[in-house]
Amino acid sequence: MASSSSSGITFKLHPLVIVNISDHYTRLKAQTLHSGESSSCAPPSNGGTAGSALSAPPRVFGCVIGVQRGRTVEIFNSFELLFDSKTHTLDRAFLEKKQELYKKVFPTFYILGWYSTGSDVEEADMLIHRSLMDINENPIYVLLNPAIIHSQKDLPISIYETELHVIDGNPQLIFVKSSYNIETVEAERISVDHVAHLKPSDGGSAATQLAAHLTGIHSAIKMLNSRVRVLHQYLVAMQRGEIPLDNSLLRQVLSLLRRLPAIESEKFQDEFLMEFNDTLLMTYLAMFTNCTGTMNDVVEKFNIAYDRHSRRGGRTAFI
Amino acid sequence: MAAAMETVESLVAHIQALTKPEDVAQLHSLLKQSQSDEALRSQGPHLAPLLADLDPAKHSLGYLYLLDTYLYSSISREQVAAFLPSIARFLNTCSAYHIRFASDKFISVCRCFKDQVMRQQTPIQGIIPLRSAVQKLQNSSEQLTTLHSDFLLLCLLAKCYKPSLCILENDIFEAENPKDLFLFYYYGGMIYIGLKRFSKALECLHNVFTSPMANLNAIAIEAYKKYILVSLIHSGQVPPFPKYTSATAQRNLKNYAQAYLDLTTAYATGKHSEIEACIQQHIEKFQSDNNLGLVKQVLSSLSKRNIQRLTQTYLTLSLQDISNSVQLNGSKESELHVLHMIQDGEIHATINQKDGMVIFHEDPEEYKTCQMVNQMDLSIQRLMSLSKKLTAIDEHISCDPAYLTKIGRERTRYEFDDFDSVPPKYL
Repeated sequence: MASSSSSGITFKLHPLVIVNISDHYTRLKAQTLHSGESSSCAPPSNGGTAGSALSAPPRVFGCVIGVQRGRTVEIFNSFELLFDSKTHTLDRAFLEKKQELYKKVFPTFYILGWYSTGSDVEEADMLIHRSLMDINENPIYVLLNPAIIHSQKDLPISIYETELHVIDGNPQLIFVKSSYNIETVEAERISVDHVAHLKPSDGGSAATQLAAHLTGIHSAIKMLNSRVRVLHQYLVAMQRGEIPLDNSLLRQVLSLLRRLPAIESEKFQDEFLMEFNDTLLMTYLAMFTNCTGTMNDVVEKFNIAYDRHSRRGGRTAFI
Repeated sequence: MAAAMETVESLVAHIQALTKPEDVAQLHSLLKQSQSDEALRSQGPHLAPLLADLDPAKHSLGYLYLLDTYLYSSISREQVAAFLPSIARFLNTCSAYHIRFASDKFISVCRCFKDQVMRQQTPIQGIIPLRSAVQKLQNSSEQLTTLHSDFLLLCLLAKCYKPSLCILENDIFEAENPKDLFLFYYYGGMIYIGLKRFSKALECLHNVFTSPMANLNAIAIEAYKKYILVSLIHSGQVPPFPKYTSATAQRNLKNYAQAYLDLTTAYATGKHSEIEACIQQHIEKFQSDNNLGLVKQVLSSLSKRNIQRLTQTYLTLSLQDISNSVQLNGSKESELHVLHMIQDGEIHATINQKDGMVIFHEDPEEYKTCQMVNQMDLSIQRLMSLSKKLTAIDEHISCDPAYLTKIGRERTRYEFDDFDSVPPKYL
C-alpha cells in the first residue's frame, strides 16, 4: 500500500508535533490502563479508541497544521480530535471550532492533514483521509509508531501522501511514504533537550544525580570526539589526495577552527591546571579513603580468621 | 663407562634436535627420566665439554639439566670457579619459557652460582646474571621468588645499590615462602638505608615485622631494631604497632629491643646530651648489632629536626639564634646545616649572608604543572588497581571457612535473637 512518493514535495517536521502526538498517546494509554483496572467501566474521555482498551493500546487521532510554501510543507503544530468509533469519522464540528481558534492565533497556519498512531497504515484510514480532502485537497497523514524498539535508531514517524494509481484497471488512491526533515526553532531545541534529559524522579541521593549528570557529559564528549575524528580522517584523506579537494568544506573547517580556544595566555594555563590538579587531588583523596576502608575490612577479617593467639579461649567481647 | 657416555651423548643429540616450543614438554619428560638414571650423574664431572656444544639460549632446558648435574657432582672448587663465566652467560641468555619447566633446578643452579661468587669475595660479578635470572623466573613482576633475596644479598655485599632498584620498586603481591619474604624486605630495607631513602626503607622494614608469624624470628627482631632507628631519623618518633601486626610480634618484639626503646625516649627529650649518654650506655649492644652507624645518624638528625621545628615558629631568624636554640657551635656550623637541608629539600629557606639571617618559605609547589597532572594520574591508577585487588581479597576471606567458623561461634554466644546467617554446618 505504501511506496515512496514521487510528488517532489519536501516535508519539514517540527519536534513540537512529535512531542504532542507522543504526549497524547501516552496520556490516553495511562488513562485507559487506569480506568480499565478500576471496577467501573467508564469510557475514556479524550480522543477516540478503536477496540477494547485493555487488549490493544488505543489509537489517537488529531490534526496537523502548518504552512505550505511552494514545494515545501512545514508542519508546525498539531491538536487532538475526537474520533467516533462507530461511524469511523472524525468529529467535524469540533474540528472546525478548533480550526477557527487556531486561525485567530496563527493566521498563517492552515490544516495540512492529520495524524494517528499505529505500526502501519490501515484501511479505515483512507476514509478519514478522504473526509479531510475537502479542507485540504492533498492532506498528509503522519503516523507515529508507539512501540519502543531499542535497536531502531531513527524516529518511528512516517509521513504519507496519497496518489492516484491505476490498480487492476481502477484508479485508486493509495498511501505513499514520503521523506521528511526535522526543523527546529531555538525554543523547541531547549524543550526537547529538557525532555531528553529527564532526571530520575527519586534522584534524591546526590550520588545518582551526579552519576547521571556525568554520564550525560561523558556521552556528549564521546560523540564530539567521534565527530572530530571523522573530520580528521576526511581531511587526512584529502591531504593524501584520495578524495578530491572540496574548497567549501575546507573553508567551513577553517571557520570552525578559528572559533576554537578563545584564551591562550599563560595565566589561563596556570589557573586551569591548578583547578584540574585540585579535582585530581580530591579524586585521589576519595580513592584513598575508599581503599583504606577496604583494607581495614580485610585486616579485621584476617585477624579474626587467622590470629589464633588473640582468640584463644574465645570468650573475648565481640564488639 | 662408554655406555654411559653414549647415553649422555644421545641425550645431547636429543636436546639439540628438540628445539621447537612444542617439543619442550617432550624434552622435559626425557630429561626427567635421564635424571633418575644413574648414568648421567656418574658422568657428571665430564659434562663440561658437552655443555660447550649446547647453546644456552636455544637449548636452555637441556643446558639447565646438564649444568645442574655438573655443578652438583664431585667437582672441585676451581672447576666451578672456572665455569663461572659460562654460568653467567647462561643466566643472561637463557629463555624464560624453558626455565619455568624446571624452576627448582634453576634455583639450585643460581644458588650454587651465588655461593661461589661469595666465596670468591667478588659479589659484584654475580649481580647482573642474577638479576636477569630473577626477571626470567618470575611469572609477573608481582611475584616473589627465592632468588630475590639472594640477588639483594649480593647487591648489599657489593655495595652496588642501583641495579637492585628496578627489582625493589615492584609491588609484591604473591610470595611462596615466608622466609623469602622476610629476607627480601630486610635486605631491601638495608639497601634503601644505604641509598638514604628512609621513607622507602621504613616501608620495607615495616613489612618484615608486621607480617603474620606464629613464632618470633630473628629477621623480624633485627628489622624492628633498624626500624626504630630509621623512623627516629626520618620522622623523630616511632609509631605504635599497626592493627595487622601479629600478636606474637606485638607481645615479644619489645623485649628484644630494649636498648633502642631507651634511645627513643632519650630522643624525645630533644637534647644532645641525653642522647649521647644513652648511646654510651648501650654502645656494646649497638655495635654487636652492627647498627652503630645508624645510631650516629640518629644523633645528627636531631639538629635537623630542631631546625625544622624552628620553621614552624619563625619566619626569619638569625644564624646565631639558630645555633643557640639547636645547641650547635656557632653560626658557621648552623649555616652549614641549613645549607645542607635546603639542598636536600628538607626545608625551604634563603640564607642572607650579609646580615646572617635565614628566611623560611612555604612549599613553593603550586600544583599547576602538567608533570603534576601526570604524576597524580599515575598514583590514581595505581591506587585503583590496588583497590580492586583488595576487594578481591576481601571477598576471598569472607568466604573462607576459618573466618566463617569464628564468626559463627562468636555470634551464637551473644546474639540469640538475631538471625544467624552462618549455616549450622560451620558451627
